[in-house]
Amino acid sequence: AAAPPHPLPPAGAGTTELTGSTNLITHYNLEHAYNKFCGKKVKEKLSNFLPDLPGMIDLPGSHDNSSLRSLIEKPPICGSSFTPLTGTMLTGFRLHAGPLPEQCRLMHIQPPKKKNKHKHKQSRTQDPVPPETPSDSDHKKKKKKKEEDPERKRKKKEKKKKKNRHSPEHPGVGSSQASSSSSLR
Amino acid sequence: MSEKFDSLEEHLEKFVENIRQLGIIVSDFQPSSQTGLNQKLNFMVTGLQDIDKCRQQLHDISVPLEVFEYIDQGRNPQLYTKECLERALAKNEQVKGKIDTMKKFKSLLIQELTKVFPEDMAKYKAIRGEDPPP
Repeated sequence: AAAPPHPLPPAGAGTTELTGSTNLITHYNLEHAYNKFCGKKVKEKLSNFLPDLPGMIDLPGSHDNSSLRSLIEKPPICGSSFTPLTGTMLTGFRLHAGPLPEQCRLMHIQPPKKKNKHKHKQSRTQDPVPPETPSDSDHKKKKKKKEEDPERKRKKKEKKKKKNRHSPEHPGVGSSQASSSSSLR
Repeated sequence: MSEKFDSLEEHLEKFVENIRQLGIIVSDFQPSSQTGLNQKLNFMVTGLQDIDKCRQQLHDISVPLEVFEYIDQGRNPQLYTKECLERALAKNEQVKGKIDTMKKFKSLLIQELTKVFPEDMAKYKAIRGEDPPP
């Protein structure tokens, strides 16, 4: 007589298991996520995801040694405490007066996604920085020249009124300065 | 779920804003700005402290390393999510295609074997049980 067949699981076995024959997107309730990310165009740039982040964030991190990869591969060696800077330490931060050289001014330039980018850059270099913190109301007029003032943008974001971001008529730059400085204290 | 990110997001925004204002002060420094500068330098320390405190709430969050590649290239990290979902769906369809083809093949094979070896196939079906309907 022939040997019995190699013991196999019953033919119905495996049909209750999850396999690729099931729509796994539906199974794991990811339809909403799929429609959100794949149903419409997702913008390419990092600045589209983080529109309020200052600086040239669309440049590769390798250019200015700001990559996350380098942070993971070579974590900085530091202590575990956060000690405020004492008076003695702060003497190291006594700066010379006057403007920085042009090449050092990059960090607060906004990403180039607005029409009046060049005007914005020029206004930053021409307008002197107020001697006090941005909460000083005496320098409202100088601040008002900057139509794309990030202080204004921050206020907009707080009010969630993105439509008014580019409006030159938007009032209350002084009040935005006050609100931002009060939140920092 | 998103509430635990709100606190971290708020602290990060304040920290970034503080740095940005520091940059403005420093870009054209005046001696009368020194006090404000010192204040902002110390806010950097307390700001980092606040961000560090957020860690406890987020200890169970994992971030895939691949998304860092997108960020390092200045690309929107949502593209990573999009591409993951697209790849998952494509693979799902590919595997479903294979499973369906294998099922058809099995059905045809049993059909043809039954024609050639009816007694053996009868024994086989008795041992294996009926296949569920496709």
